[in-house]
Amino acid sequence: MSSTNANHAPSTVPASVPVNVYKTRWERAVPVFGFPVVTPFFIVLVGLAVIAFLLTSYREVVGLGPVTGMNDKFGWGIWKTFNVVVLTAWGSGAFAVGIAAWVFGRKRLHTLMRMALLTSMLAYACGLCLLGVDVGRPWNFYWVLFPWNWNVHSPMAEVAVCMSVYASIPLFLENIPPVLERLWHFDARWRPNVERVEHALHYFFPFIIALAYLLPAMHQSSLGALMLLAGDRVHPLWQSPFLPLLYVGAAAFMSFGCVAGSTMLCCLVWKRAMDMEVLDEAARITAWLIFGWMAIRLLAVLLRGALLDAFRFDRYAGIFWVEMILIGYGGWMLLQSLKTHKFRTMFLGYALSSVGGMLYRFSPTTLAYMPGPHAIYFPSTIELLIAMGFVAVGIAAFLVMVKLFAILPAPIQDWRDMAAYFKARKPYISWTKYFNFGFFGDKLPTDPTR
Amino acid sequence: MAITRRELITNIGKAGVPVAVAMTMSTVGAGTLQAEEVPVPSAPVGLLYDASLCIGCKACESACNAANDTPPDTSGDGLHQAPIDLNVFTRNIIKLYKPEDGSASSFVKRQCMHCFDPGCVAGCPFEALYKDEDTGAVRWDGGKCIGCRYCTISCPYSVPRFQWAGINPVITKCELCSHRLVKGLKPGCTSVCPVGAVIFGPRTVLLLEAKRRIKNNPGRYYQDRVYGETDNGGTQCLYLSKVPFEKLGLPELGPESVPSKSLRWQKRIYSYFALPALLYAGLVTVIRKNVKGHEQEAHEQEKETGLRAQL
Repeated sequence: MSSTNANHAPSTVPASVPVNVYKTRWERAVPVFGFPVVTPFFIVLVGLAVIAFLLTSYREVVGLGPVTGMNDKFGWGIWKTFNVVVLTAWGSGAFAVGIAAWVFGRKRLHTLMRMALLTSMLAYACGLCLLGVDVGRPWNFYWVLFPWNWNVHSPMAEVAVCMSVYASIPLFLENIPPVLERLWHFDARWRPNVERVEHALHYFFPFIIALAYLLPAMHQSSLGALMLLAGDRVHPLWQSPFLPLLYVGAAAFMSFGCVAGSTMLCCLVWKRAMDMEVLDEAARITAWLIFGWMAIRLLAVLLRGALLDAFRFDRYAGIFWVEMILIGYGGWMLLQSLKTHKFRTMFLGYALSSVGGMLYRFSPTTLAYMPGPHAIYFPSTIELLIAMGFVAVGIAAFLVMVKLFAILPAPIQDWRDMAAYFKARKPYISWTKYFNFGFFGDKLPTDPTR
Repeated sequence: MAITRRELITNIGKAGVPVAVAMTMSTVGAGTLQAEEVPVPSAPVGLLYDASLCIGCKACESACNAANDTPPDTSGDGLHQAPIDLNVFTRNIIKLYKPEDGSASSFVKRQCMHCFDPGCVAGCPFEALYKDEDTGAVRWDGGKCIGCRYCTISCPYSVPRFQWAGINPVITKCELCSHRLVKGLKPGCTSVCPVGAVIFGPRTVLLLEAKRRIKNNPGRYYQDRVYGETDNGGTQCLYLSKVPFEKLGLPELGPESVPSKSLRWQKRIYSYFALPALLYAGLVTVIRKNVKGHEQEAHEQEKETGLRAQL
């Protein structure tokens, strides 16, 4: 019976009981089953996406000025500074968690990899699509295909080339395995072909993965280098030669927050058991990334001689302290959660440090950017709606993907539960033998109690 | 013992490590990296604007509009051409600095400075903004511009302007009337100035003229200095003024250009692409080993559980 299985955990965790009493071990990605794809929340997301799509076509006709709050002083609005600069950093899980798992050999983190890869792909895809809406002359983007036309030392060229190459080649290929897996399970006749593709993919995998770490390291740092050319127009608390390094660092700890935090949230929503061993490891890495990052941040401020600016009574000092306190307190909560094993502490730690990191990534381009005495920028309603719509597309796609493909980690028992669930709910599967998941072929467990 | 193909490739790769490091390090010691990489125009021309002579008649503004075929900006009251700042119709503008304490006031003419090492050109991803090889004018190529508006941020003088309305937006900035120069005509603004406050000529001649004025009028000019002689690595448009340059919107940027100051490490790290290539090779080596181990574990688990391995 399932109760004898050490891997099995109750599907719900009472809030009053500390989570770590359950010896749950994530071993396998299992699709979310038993929950409908179309929910009220999903419909709201689709509605937002549709509104954004309609407004985008309006923007394409009338231009940027009538639709956005951007102006001659603030040439960049939230589409670039939030949806691209901030959200691709938050969605850099494929980069940061991947390096921890594949390069530094944190083997247990492999269970989070599919979440990391999916969130990264969606963050980058939505960000790049919105970038296409944001730029004024997107039809000239084909120049990205001609390297002799790149201005190689421009941070912008670096971002434009690296980001599009990364999202369309290594990140895309890294996300193929769950799709192939689904095809493999779907129909036995497809298996030889699927296996052939998988074989080829696995052969090139080290080269793809390495590229998937090199390129984000390059473009996430170049996103920081973008503001170096703005010189004194970026407040001294932010402007520093360390900006590229700090931008990569922020992407690293924020993306851990994104991957581990959203995995925890998914487990809560879809009633999955949590593997505290994996989550503890992620929290420990995140906490030390945060403290290391804060040390470099303070060093950058000191070297720049801007420490006194932090103690002025103005909004820049305020933003600086809000950032530092959010990030630092988040890191401290993560360390606390390693001792107390409280879900709430750990989740809040991820949430606070992510919000702080987002604020940090947002400041140099917007909040701490001082282009002139009377310069002011506030996003217009349409601009906000489009930005929200592109985030909504990402979340909606995520909700569909975790239900169609094996993304979320779970104990092995959950895979068997899924098979049992579908066999019970959809009897035609046993007649036709055609089923997305749970069709085990020859290796169907023979244990009659299952 | 025969060398296998794998060994050969590995050894070549190992030999590449010191080469890559050397290629990167070779640029660290070099102080004049910028001078080597930014080509100097063969015959730089420019403007000399003497703010102490300008009477603020704004004839140059409308001459600029006429020369560039842009409509006058009457957005203020619908009657007068009175732009507040440079904008998509206005490549050249006269502003007034008038301090409230009644000390010396001054007009100032703002347009592109045509830097020797322009921030906008350094930042432009696909070389849509470029420096003319002969005249050194900073020009814009609409066939390459993606409209990212990075030039509006990377220009230390905040000159380039993006057209906010319309389906085919352009970047507008003073191009030193390059279309007139090829016909042997002077830029629009210099052809109408009634007092000779702005003159056109080869930069060397303009610089001599500016220094002559400083010499002949001791104490007249701020710091007895020509703005643009060395500022931001040297600009082709030169300024003389009675009031501090910063009051006229010309920031003190120092003799080193903004791109060479701020992108120094960017350039070193990416020189010859040696360091990224080295990093990539290292990553592949480590990951290959780890992928093998991971696959093995996955297949063992597959045998154990009877469920297909997930990689």
